[in-house]
Amino acid sequence: MLTLPALRRSTGNLLLLAVFFGGVLFIGVTRVQPLTSATSAPAPIDVAPAPEISHPAPPFTLHTPDGATVALADLRGRVVLINFWATWCPPCRAEMPAIQAAFAQYQPQGFTVLAVTAGEDAATVTAFLQAHDLHVPALLDTNGQVHATYFASTLPSSFFIDRRGVVRAIYKGPMSHSVITGTVAQLLAEQ
Amino acid sequence: MYPLITLGPLRLSSGGLLLLAAAYLWAWRVVQVARHRGGTTLAVHAKECTLPALFGAAIGGRLWAGLFSLDRYGPAPELFLAPQLTDLAWPGALLGGALVGWGCCRRRGANPWALADVAALSLPLALAVGGVGLLLSGEAFGLPTTLPWGVPLFGAVRHPTQLYGTLAALLIGALLSAAEYFASDDRPLAPGRLAARFLALHGLSLLLIEALRADSFTIADGVRATQIVGLALLLAGLHRLRARPAPTMPMPPVPID
Repeated sequence: MLTLPALRRSTGNLLLLAVFFGGVLFIGVTRVQPLTSATSAPAPIDVAPAPEISHPAPPFTLHTPDGATVALADLRGRVVLINFWATWCPPCRAEMPAIQAAFAQYQPQGFTVLAVTAGEDAATVTAFLQAHDLHVPALLDTNGQVHATYFASTLPSSFFIDRRGVVRAIYKGPMSHSVITGTVAQLLAEQ
Repeated sequence: MYPLITLGPLRLSSGGLLLLAAAYLWAWRVVQVARHRGGTTLAVHAKECTLPALFGAAIGGRLWAGLFSLDRYGPAPELFLAPQLTDLAWPGALLGGALVGWGCCRRRGANPWALADVAALSLPLALAVGGVGLLLSGEAFGLPTTLPWGVPLFGAVRHPTQLYGTLAALLIGALLSAAEYFASDDRPLAPGRLAARFLALHGLSLLLIEALRADSFTIADGVRATQIVGLALLLAGLHRLRARPAPTMPMPPVPID
C-alpha cells in the first residue's frame, strides 16, 4: 500500500523528471541555429582569402572621411592594426582611447592604425573622432566588403599585421591597453 | 560606454563601474543580512568569506569566458589575467564564488547553508544592478526583435536581455524576501531553504532568458552553455526543496518557579 510520504516522494521524483526532460527539450528547441541552411552548393565568390594568422592579410583599398585613398599594400614595412569598429558600438568606443594611446606612442617607430567602419557616413565618423580627440586614421567601408572579407562580424575585431604584411594576431572583442601595446612592441621589434 | 576613469592599465566604463558597484553592493548586503538573520557570529563569518567568494567569482567568470573563447585566449593566454571588466561570464562567476565561499565556510567552521541563505538574499539586488551595467557596456545582448520594448543596439532593435535579467532578479528578490517575511516563528525556514529557492528561480530565469541572447557561449550543436547551468541549478534547487528539512531541536522546557 502506498503511504503518504511514499506518494509524495514519487510525485517529487516525477516532477523532477518532468522538469529535466522539459528543460532539455527547451534547450534543444532554443539552441543557436545556423545563420543559413544552404540547400545547394553556393556559387564561388570573387573575394580575397580570409585572414588567418601567419598568412598574408587580404588586401583592400578604402577612402578616408575626407576622401583620401588608403591601400593596405602601401603600408608594407609598417606594423598595422586594422580595427573594425562603429560609432554606435559601446565596446568599440571604450576601446578607442587605448588604441589612440598606442598609436601616439608607437607611430614614430613605424606603427599605424586603420580604423575601419561600415555603413556610416563621413560626417558621423569625423564628428565622433573630433568630439573624442581621436587621431587614428579612419576608413569608410561603405559597402561592408572589407568587413565581409575579414569576417568582422564581431565588433570590435582587431587584426595586427606585421611589417611583411602577414597577419600575426587576431582579437575579437575589446582589447586592454596592455594587450595592444604588448603586441605592437613585439611586432615593431621584429625586422 | 565611454571610459570614465583610467587607473594604469584599467579603464573603467560606466558599465564596468556598475559591475563593480554590484559586487560592492553584494558584499555590503551580505554582512547586513547575516547580522539580521544570525547575529554577530554569522556576520563575522559572512565578512570573512565575502572577499574570497568575490575572488573566486572573478576567477571563475574569467575562466568560463576564456575557455569558451579559446580562439582568442589560446594564442594569448595573458588575456586570462587582463585587468578589464569584460569577459567575465556569470555562470563561471556563480560557480567559482559558490565553490570558494563553501570552502571558506568549511574552513572557518561556519554553517554553509546559513551563509548560502544570506548570499541568496543578497544576490538579487546586485544582479539587478549588474544587469543595468551589462546594458550600458553592450554585453549579453539579445536577439533582434520587433517588440515595442526592444532597444537599439549593435545596428538592430534587440531584446533587452540585460533588463530581463534585472527584472527577473528583482522578482526573485521579492519572492525570497516574502518567503522570509512570512515564515512564522514556530515554523522557521530550515537553513538552505532560501538558497534552494534562489537556485531554482535563478536557474529558471537563466534557462529562459538565455534563449533570447545573441552572444551565448555554445557547446556542441549550438546548445547554449548557460542554459545547461540554468537547468542544473533549477534541478538542484528543486531537489533540495523537496528534501525533508532536518528536524529541529525541541525548545528546552522553561523552568517554572
